[in-house]
Amino acid sequence: MKKIFLSLITILIAVSVTAQLKLDLILSSAPPAALSEWASRREVLTAIVSGQPGLPPQQFKIKSEFKTTDGTVIGTTDLARAAVYTTSAAGTGTILYAADVVPLEVMIFTGKYRSSLQKTGKLPSDNYMLCVTLVRLPDYPPSSNQVCKSFYLATTQLPILMKPYNEEALDATIAQTAITFRWTPVVPRLTEPVTYRIQVFEVLEHQTPVQALRSNQPLLDQNVVNATQYIWRPQLDLGFQGGTIPADFGAALKGKPFIWTIQSLDVHGNPVTQTDGSGEGRSEPIIFYIKMKAKEKGNR
Amino acid sequence: MMRKQIIPIALLLALFSSPGFAQEKKPVFSISGTMGVSYEGYGLSRSPSGWMGYQPRRPWNQVRFNFTPTMKFGANWSIPFNINFAAKPTNFAGPYSGIIKQNFSQYITNPMNNFGINPKYKWAEFQLGTQYLKYSDLSTGDIGIFGAGFDLRPNTYRIKFFTGVSQQGINYFTGPPSVTGAYKRKNWMFQLGKEKEGKYLFAFNIAKGKDVPSSSAPPPVTIKPQEGFVMSLQTEIYLNKGWYFKAEGAKSIFTKDLTTALDSSRKSLKPFIDAHTSTVNDYAAQGSIGKKSKDFDIGITTKYLGAGFQTTGYPYQQPDRLDYTVNTRFNAWQHKMNVVASIGQRVNNVSNTALKAKQFIANLNWFTQFNDKWSLNVSYNNFGFETASGINPFGIKNVSNDLGINPTVSWNTKKMNNLLSLSYNYSKYNERDVISGLTTSNNTHTALLTYVPTFFTKEASPDFSVLYFYNDVPGAKISLTTISSGLSMPAAKKKIKLRGQLQYTIGKLNSFSSNKNFIASCNVDVKLNKKLTWTNFMTTNYFKYGNEIIPNGANYLESNFRTGFQYRFDASIKK
Repeated sequence: MKKIFLSLITILIAVSVTAQLKLDLILSSAPPAALSEWASRREVLTAIVSGQPGLPPQQFKIKSEFKTTDGTVIGTTDLARAAVYTTSAAGTGTILYAADVVPLEVMIFTGKYRSSLQKTGKLPSDNYMLCVTLVRLPDYPPSSNQVCKSFYLATTQLPILMKPYNEEALDATIAQTAITFRWTPVVPRLTEPVTYRIQVFEVLEHQTPVQALRSNQPLLDQNVVNATQYIWRPQLDLGFQGGTIPADFGAALKGKPFIWTIQSLDVHGNPVTQTDGSGEGRSEPIIFYIKMKAKEKGNR
Repeated sequence: MMRKQIIPIALLLALFSSPGFAQEKKPVFSISGTMGVSYEGYGLSRSPSGWMGYQPRRPWNQVRFNFTPTMKFGANWSIPFNINFAAKPTNFAGPYSGIIKQNFSQYITNPMNNFGINPKYKWAEFQLGTQYLKYSDLSTGDIGIFGAGFDLRPNTYRIKFFTGVSQQGINYFTGPPSVTGAYKRKNWMFQLGKEKEGKYLFAFNIAKGKDVPSSSAPPPVTIKPQEGFVMSLQTEIYLNKGWYFKAEGAKSIFTKDLTTALDSSRKSLKPFIDAHTSTVNDYAAQGSIGKKSKDFDIGITTKYLGAGFQTTGYPYQQPDRLDYTVNTRFNAWQHKMNVVASIGQRVNNVSNTALKAKQFIANLNWFTQFNDKWSLNVSYNNFGFETASGINPFGIKNVSNDLGINPTVSWNTKKMNNLLSLSYNYSKYNERDVISGLTTSNNTHTALLTYVPTFFTKEASPDFSVLYFYNDVPGAKISLTTISSGLSMPAAKKKIKLRGQLQYTIGKLNSFSSNKNFIASCNVDVKLNKKLTWTNFMTTNYFKYGNEIIPNGANYLESNFRTGFQYRFDASIKK
């Protein structure tokens, strides 16, 4: 009887120790290019780990591997430094996010991928796979099946302002009727529509152009969906207004200065990229001038 | 008692208004510059009631103050003031975006306000309050910082340091109106260099900015607390015969999110910055070489910004690009012909072979004065953009071409001079669809005819112009026809300057009924005395839609009024 009891205990321990954990992995097909951004956006990656009902909680670590499409491993978890997790006692699923599954501080990348991450925080734009396995302590044998998910990484490039080009001097009479703005689209072209918020700011006396952008109410604040041109009818008297830029911040005075920019927003109204530049998804602003009319030039 | 009050007032008036007694003596004190106050009122009336299709674009009421005199004490001391502030915040972009109620520290650091004083003694300048300091193109230059520092220039040495706060913590608010929120950012910068103006400059620059993550509650949703450090080495050399050489190399270490974990595997630069998992570090460089002279300039400029190059001093700079441009300017035909041209290429996403984007940029402006009567200006601009488009079957290709022709003729009669100018511009914008590969062409024609008579014996100076604008893109045809006229003239023995303008535009979209726009504006500037001017500007803008929008016939009336007094300091005390 004692032998039978000991055998049952041994089998039970063996079963509980080697018991397979269940891993479900949900990964966005086009996550943010900056890997550090995954941690702050819970919608990017969710992992659900479930133990077998009735068994005691188990400790495990998460082994994650970034692979190229040909299966080459380019980044993997340093298991010695990885955090230890425990399944829930109730047998309910443990929900984990990107900060747990791909903790960058314990991930080791190779070659050009490591270099790219160090420089830019991003992997080169391409298709990749993320393969995740749960492993047991202390020797890290697998405790679950390996689950792999494919994804596409692309560095989002904000629009570049095309027209009016930097420091272009526009004729006041024409500009009073219409000014055409053009910019390049967000690259790569997103599957969902992008809203381009075009803003034009008047540079007042004693202001630098970027100061005007950060402090004035825009004369034009218009959302343009998925198009890269906007014809503005200013409906302003642009012919006779002063304005100077301090010498260090602009070229010679060519007329009344204005600064314009594009803010690129996703379908939820958030900036398409939140970790580049100012985090506002605003393109590098440029200046244009409204030339005074010939007559007023003479009068001055 | 009365006499005791009058004497100091009289002395003070004499001090600020008298031009001085002995012109040959150097002033022991002088003051120049301006100060003023202005009010701006804005009104918008929309019809039908409840229609919100046009949004206000100026503050309803705003008062602005400026005080920018420079006081000089003897030969060595000077104190320039740069104080400009407004009563109400109007921030729509940047860290203060959406803020309505400000506390004191937010008010003085709001980019719309400057409170700067720069006392200077010989080569030592002390910088106090708001300062917009540009150390170099790659280190810092775009942001204002409220703090303290110095700019020392003994002989040819340059020692600069400044520290302060560029933005205060601002709590996120969902709205409406929403407030984006911001983290308090502390900045400092340092420059050590050697410079001889017009000869050479060598300088080493360091700039740092760091956010305080606990400075806003609730914190911004989309903005992360950041930390950036940049150091750069710059040189400028000016040689004989107008030759010059400029170069700057820089390295940045930038943490995009301070809440991410520290990461020992990444490069830190202690004690300045510790690396997190979101830290990137990269290089940038720019250089130019060329020659400038009276009749001929040529220069080559190149700029490289690595993909991870980021600084807090230029928050909107777009990295990962390589530009190179050749510029030239020359005069010919006995200075009757002037040509300014540039050609270059910009490569974006340099680090990314799959999505590398190339832009071709070319500009030409060619002006010729044929004789006393005739002149011609021709301009051409090209901007081409091409890149792959991720998983889409076709790449992105956008090409913008603009050609402008502007002949002008002027002739005299016994009583007047006549100027007639025609300006024609053709703009073509091609854009390829990334799914179908089809290219759509967007064509714009603009023609403007201007007539300006100038009377020899009359002071009234009118002008007249007619403009036609036509834009044609598949699915939309827009035409605008504008007639406008202006008149300017002095009055009251030239103490008053008057100027008025009327403009009427008829616009048409496809087959919809036409929309109409009428603008009237005027300036009245009154010179109250030699130093005090009263300026006034009034404009009204009425716009009535056709049936291109719902509700049909919607319209709005917009008005703007600005008035202000500007005082010019110009006084001195001689020994």
